[in-house]
Amino acid sequence: MILRQQRQSALRRALILGAAAGALAFGTSAYAEETLKIGALGVMSGPFAGWGGVMCQTFKSRAGMWNDDGGVAIGDKTYKVEVVCVDDKGDPKGAQTGAEKLVSEGVKYIQGPNTDSTAESAKTVMEANGTINMPYAFSKSLYKAPASQSILGMVASYQVGPVIYKWLMENKGVKKIAFVSENNADPIKQRDEGSAGAKALGLEVVSDQETYESGTTDFFPILTKVIGTAPDHIVLSGVSPSDVGPLIKAARELGFTGTMSTETGQDPKAIYEVAGDASNGFIAAGGASTEAIRSDFMVKFIERYTKDWGEWNDVAGLYVYGPEIMIQTLQSAGPKALEDTEVFKAALTGFVGKNPFLKDGGELKYVGRTDYGQARQVSVPIVVQAVENGEYKPLFVGKLPD
Amino acid sequence: MTQVMLNALVVGTTYALIALGITIIFSIMKVVNFAHGQLYMIGGFVVYYFNVVFGLPFWFGLVMSFLIVGLLGVAMELFLFRPVMLRVKREEVTMLLAMGTAVFLESLALLVFGEKQRGVPPIATGIVELFGARLPTGRIVVIVVAAMLIAALMAFIGYTKTGRALRAMAQDREATALQGVNLKWLSAMGFGLGTGLAGLSGGLLVAIFAVHTGAGTAISIKAFLMIMIGGAGVLSGAILGGFVLGFLESVGYALLPGSLTFLIIFLIVICFLIVRPNGIMGKPWG
Amino acid sequence: MQKTISMPNVNLPQSVQRSSALKPIGLGLLIAAAYFIAIPLVFGANGYLLNVFTTMAAVSFISFGVWLTFAIGRINLAQAGFALIGAYVTAILVSRLGVSFWICLPLSGAVAALLGGLIGWPVLRLKGVYFAMITLCITEACRLTALSFPALTRGAQGIVDLPLPGELSLFGLTIIPAFEKGARLPFFYLAGTLMLLGLGFMWLLDTSRVGAVFRSLRQNEDLASSLGINVAKYRVVAFMVSCFYAGVGGAFFATLQQNVYPTTFQVLDSVYFMVYCFVGGLEFVIGPLVGALVMMISFELLHEFQRYQTVIFSGLMILCILLMPNGILSVVNRSGKPEEATNA
Repeated sequence: MILRQQRQSALRRALILGAAAGALAFGTSAYAEETLKIGALGVMSGPFAGWGGVMCQTFKSRAGMWNDDGGVAIGDKTYKVEVVCVDDKGDPKGAQTGAEKLVSEGVKYIQGPNTDSTAESAKTVMEANGTINMPYAFSKSLYKAPASQSILGMVASYQVGPVIYKWLMENKGVKKIAFVSENNADPIKQRDEGSAGAKALGLEVVSDQETYESGTTDFFPILTKVIGTAPDHIVLSGVSPSDVGPLIKAARELGFTGTMSTETGQDPKAIYEVAGDASNGFIAAGGASTEAIRSDFMVKFIERYTKDWGEWNDVAGLYVYGPEIMIQTLQSAGPKALEDTEVFKAALTGFVGKNPFLKDGGELKYVGRTDYGQARQVSVPIVVQAVENGEYKPLFVGKLPD
Repeated sequence: MTQVMLNALVVGTTYALIALGITIIFSIMKVVNFAHGQLYMIGGFVVYYFNVVFGLPFWFGLVMSFLIVGLLGVAMELFLFRPVMLRVKREEVTMLLAMGTAVFLESLALLVFGEKQRGVPPIATGIVELFGARLPTGRIVVIVVAAMLIAALMAFIGYTKTGRALRAMAQDREATALQGVNLKWLSAMGFGLGTGLAGLSGGLLVAIFAVHTGAGTAISIKAFLMIMIGGAGVLSGAILGGFVLGFLESVGYALLPGSLTFLIIFLIVICFLIVRPNGIMGKPWG
Repeated sequence: MQKTISMPNVNLPQSVQRSSALKPIGLGLLIAAAYFIAIPLVFGANGYLLNVFTTMAAVSFISFGVWLTFAIGRINLAQAGFALIGAYVTAILVSRLGVSFWICLPLSGAVAALLGGLIGWPVLRLKGVYFAMITLCITEACRLTALSFPALTRGAQGIVDLPLPGELSLFGLTIIPAFEKGARLPFFYLAGTLMLLGLGFMWLLDTSRVGAVFRSLRQNEDLASSLGINVAKYRVVAFMVSCFYAGVGGAFFATLQQNVYPTTFQVLDSVYFMVYCFVGGLEFVIGPLVGALVMMISFELLHEFQRYQTVIFSGLMILCILLMPNGILSVVNRSGKPEEATNA
């Protein structure tokens, strides 16, 4: 009886305080009885292994923390979280097979995939089998009706772009802006959307047709042309983490003195290692792991991730929001949601959870009504930050529109 | 425009260095080494580890990148390519073997080195202004070293005994063996020389660019383009091909919309090969 | 290529080594029974395995084309490019003009074959690595073209939410009912049908007079042409057939995934199509099927190794080449030498 009371009170607290505090309250008293299998489907090998690989590692580390605390309580049971990572190789065929694999193992909740083409292919399986997934891809048809099973796990580039540009106009007097991107589907799309957003704000877009090939080593040729158009600011649209450092370095060496930014999450240490002091002032939207704003819980997560995988990657601070809100929502929606994702979807609109990663706390909820017509996006805070000697320094924190 | 020409010079020199390794292996073994880009990537990481992680001088790391990746190549020749080449009915199988090796090395590198991009501290600071164009000192050092390496290699192939034997083997294996040359040793060494050059170029270029585990395939594809333009299996052709591609890329980016540049380069290469199937310098074969 | 031109075997032996046609037909029936009856009976409820087999069947269908270009002595890395063309033809026709999938499927193959003929005519003059690398360029050029002309292909946006195949009826008689959302068996059967038809046609081609001509091209083109064979015509025909397979396969995948992006088929896909042929064995019509089956199943089985999956997979692939450099079937078929050129 006592055990049950404890568990119920713990459950209530978990619902109020979110998984982090909830798990602490369990302490040793609760023990996990069952396993909750959750999937991660993404590109974990090849040139873009960084994306899905970090996503999988983030999820595993977070699950390890839940399990160390006894598991997560959903209804009156506690569950150990088991993460199944599936590598789709960045191939749409692989994404579909991988999604089927997770479904056949009884997985109902999945993180990923990481690109438009893989997410669209996985969508066919998700929609047909009532499986929820959180892609890190920006294709709007994933989240708009009639689609209903996908929830965008991060801030889309077309949402964060204008926020940054507006800040630049007001604080840095930026008037002319240029876009450069890799010649590939996802980056070009983000560039087009970014350019449209900049025009809408009244900025003069001096260059938005220049692209470089995937695997370019020397960015002098492409940047020579971009810088020749005399922009105040250069946006690296949808840039792959492996290209950021070299691009910044090349731009500075060519004498570019304006500001630069990207909309995607990047690791400041890796950028600094390649570009050195040239990277100072580079603006990126990112996770919430900056020292100035992170909570003690985030510090714990960083320690855990570093212990598990050897080295912290700032992008993990972005990916950790997905699993967090997924579990919190499951706890709030109750055990029925484990079997039936309709219950989960019904809970999305009203759900309000707690953000354990920021010092100031704040809410975690589902937004996206403005962009997708339904609540299909995690309200990750838009943390806009600048690189300074290999660390991020927050510039401002924005909010996603409802 | 000065800047564009300087860019072309830098890109061309680095490309020439990359193309040399793949063409050596091709000329003596008739193997298209699909793992070339991956070996380049490993060379970059070797320098990174010696220079940044172990804190040793860059130039020491550079020597090690040649030795380590070269030995890796010798091992590949001895334990993979040789046994397979002795038994296959179709020579194309070696291409498949190289592709398998490429995937293997890349996924292994991801496990060992992690997913982040890496760079080393600059080997030289400062920027030189030349007729209004900017050339960072680091780049000058790198292209001078690259040019010296290319010259040294040409001298080695052209004037040493081993070099002559390698050239002879590229032309006619049987006749070379009849001259009393130990082909086994020689082909392993030639393979190691080719991969060592891949490692060396990766190690040298990490000083001005950066390296990450997924960089290999794109490097390989570019290397193929260069040796196709120049002529497969001919050293001077590889150098020429590197410069032509570097020039096309730099000038293309300057004059054309970026997204069309490589499409046009591919189309030019396709048309060029139709007209001249053996590249600029290639001799007809096969 | 270099050494392999040992003794061109085009001096056409009269006694045809036609081991009775019954054996291959029996094998075909066995595959059909295994695919259409045994797999659905055993794994029918498992969407994952059905998807693996569907993908395997369609991929081996595309690889048959690569196999045919091997048969004429060319290493073809353009297959993914032509599959992308096929995928776009279907996607554009279905989404913009509402054309039935059943018309688009063969049409995609035809368009790919036509383009393949136009490109192939000059390009096929190249041999060996040059041909391999130029076809690699073609695959890249296809991806870049899809990206660069958004008016036609929607560029980076991709064409998404393609409808599932509707019903196929002839004179009011429903031959194939419309595919239902989430139903896996229709695609499974469609892929199997394609695979068997593709295999059957390859076998007919290989055992026919044309097949013998193709093999003679591989052995020695000059000799073949001195015998009065129109070498250029035959190799273009082979390449066009290959592109047809690619186009149909691409159309299938576009519909299965209900979307197409410039990245749907890439250089790596071309490489894998080629790998399947090698692993199975180049001397055997059924090689691509065996290769795709073994490779795809083993990749899925290795999933337990998580982060090490790709390393182990590629390691096994290298080991497989070391132990069986002439393909899996060369070990199974110990009985004798692979079929040489038969007749012309």
